[in-house]
Amino acid sequence: MHMRHAMISSPWSSSTIRRLARLVVTGLALVEVPLAAHDMWIEPATFFPQSGQIVSLRLRVGQDLLGDPLLLDPSLVNQFVVSDGDGVRPVVRRDGRDPAGLVRLITPGVHVIGYRSNPSTIEIPADTFNQYLKEEGLDAVSAQRARRNETRAPAREIFSRCAKSLVFSGAAAAAQGDRPLGFTLELVAERNPYQLRADQDLPVRLTYESRPLAGALVVAINRLNPADKVSARTDADGRVRFRLRHDGMWLIKAVHMVPAPADAHAEWASFWASLTFEMRNPSAGTNE
Amino acid sequence: MTCIATKARNHKIRSGLRVFAFSWLSCAAFASVVFSVGAAVLIAHELGTTRVAILLNDGRTYDVDVITDAAALLEKLEASSGESPLAGLPPDRLRARIEQFGEQFRRRVALRFDGAEARPAIAYAVSPGADAAASPIATIHLSGQIPPGATHLTWRYAWTFASYAVTVRRTAADNPTTEWLEGGQSSAAVALKAPAPAADRFGTARRYLALGFTHIVPGGLDHVLFVLGIYLLSGRARSILWQVSAFTLAHSITLGLSMYGLVSASPRIVEPLIAVSIAYVAIENIFCAELKSWRVAIVFVFGLLHGMGFAGALKELSLPRSEFVTALLTFNIGVEAGQLAVIGTAFLLVGWYSADRVWYRRRVVVPASMLIACTAVYWTIQRL
Repeated sequence: MHMRHAMISSPWSSSTIRRLARLVVTGLALVEVPLAAHDMWIEPATFFPQSGQIVSLRLRVGQDLLGDPLLLDPSLVNQFVVSDGDGVRPVVRRDGRDPAGLVRLITPGVHVIGYRSNPSTIEIPADTFNQYLKEEGLDAVSAQRARRNETRAPAREIFSRCAKSLVFSGAAAAAQGDRPLGFTLELVAERNPYQLRADQDLPVRLTYESRPLAGALVVAINRLNPADKVSARTDADGRVRFRLRHDGMWLIKAVHMVPAPADAHAEWASFWASLTFEMRNPSAGTNE
Repeated sequence: MTCIATKARNHKIRSGLRVFAFSWLSCAAFASVVFSVGAAVLIAHELGTTRVAILLNDGRTYDVDVITDAAALLEKLEASSGESPLAGLPPDRLRARIEQFGEQFRRRVALRFDGAEARPAIAYAVSPGADAAASPIATIHLSGQIPPGATHLTWRYAWTFASYAVTVRRTAADNPTTEWLEGGQSSAAVALKAPAPAADRFGTARRYLALGFTHIVPGGLDHVLFVLGIYLLSGRARSILWQVSAFTLAHSITLGLSMYGLVSASPRIVEPLIAVSIAYVAIENIFCAELKSWRVAIVFVFGLLHGMGFAGALKELSLPRSEFVTALLTFNIGVEAGQLAVIGTAFLLVGWYSADRVWYRRRVVVPASMLIACTAVYWTIQRL
């Protein structure tokens, strides 16, 4: 089956322009972006721990990988787990504190850390909500609101976080990569990013309730080059492919929104999937 | 004969209906008051590690501490200045680096006095995290003079994406007030001096009306049983009106006098006597079916006791000095409405249909009064 090659290359080439772009992007992130539309991701103290090392895990909320640490709110935690070769086990939680959790990683290979939150309710003014739908590529919801003549109405939403992080420990020979944790909305890297060759794309699959989600906007952001965002819509199998040209930490993210359940006292339910990992020397052509 | 009986019955129903209608109108009014208070919008954001403490030194100077994750702040400062991030710096270098971006930092922080932005002196400090796993914490201290004559301040901080708390103290010894804000959101205007007593008469009236009502229903089962005792004596509206009027007048007198400190009695005496009064009216209902003048007098005396009980409850609510009379009057009116609601309910449940039936006394008044009497005797012993 032919897969859509969904990489979008950066239009920036010189470092001056990149710096300028970064300034603009960050400025926008800090001023213009609606309060409701922040990403949330897991940031381990290191993505490459030694075997047996205890790694602290921070939950961060922000934009373009610039974020603030969150305190672990016990009432919001639905799952905070680590999955490795030995199975799935809970992370040591630090309720009310930052870092939010600790984990000791012993087995070699990729450890999948997952945080899934309970839903939170938020009421968002019409303009902010419309802007947020546009930015997150939630065109179907925009269209539905327009059809119902609700575009000028504020929206009440319940949002849930489905964050994952891939930490690599031990020998590079360990083949096992990302694994599904069964989150409502979930990004799964279909190739181990820690074994990605320079000429390889990273295929990522987005699932909603464990089924592939087609047509959803997936964005990949690099910490050191937030202006070089790459984005694509998922194909019929819920898949996108990214060519990750930069070293450093990456965040891959997607948002999905559905009508809220009748008892939720909200019109919409959103799910925020994120996947973080770090690339080291991924490509000979990193700097174009 | 039948005609006279029917007329009498119709008259009784009409008077009963008037009492009932008034009671339920009161109830409806109270329900709307109680439920219309503060229909707040639910907003839940994620809680970050940033917090802000504002201290106003008696309106002369201010000290603001912004306490936040040092590395997270630096990243944002660097990014917004277009500079490459320097990761993993120790606390002293973090402090020096953050300080380099002082002007940048100011751009997204606004402390305004009566709308005019202040330019505070800023001092930066970075300390290691609270435990081995925690990251260094920046404390950014903003200080300066409050412009003379300024009355209000607002605060805005746009260097965080998470929710954070701002606490304000007017003096170092003051209890802080806390407001939760999102990054970039302006705080509500904070008065620099302690607010003058709120002269919101309507709000006070509404609050104390509701408190008076809820002191009876559902809060005061003993008062409810006393009022039921009054109601059960006779199905006639005249009997109820005389007794209720005597009770109301009496408890209004002692409630007012007690609140002004002109009479006082220990709750250790008043509370058992209130229980005795309930037992008395209930026992009398068993032996007497007509309203006598001495019953009205006794209800009046008991009303004096109940008034002192109401005063005890009202004193616990710490009445606003500026609206003392409003609060006292509306609390009393609330108590009346509560009583009428009890009578209205009793009329609806038993009086409406059965008050003039031959079996009314035998099947309703006597058993109910015995139950009330037993409860009241139990309370009397318990309260002694």
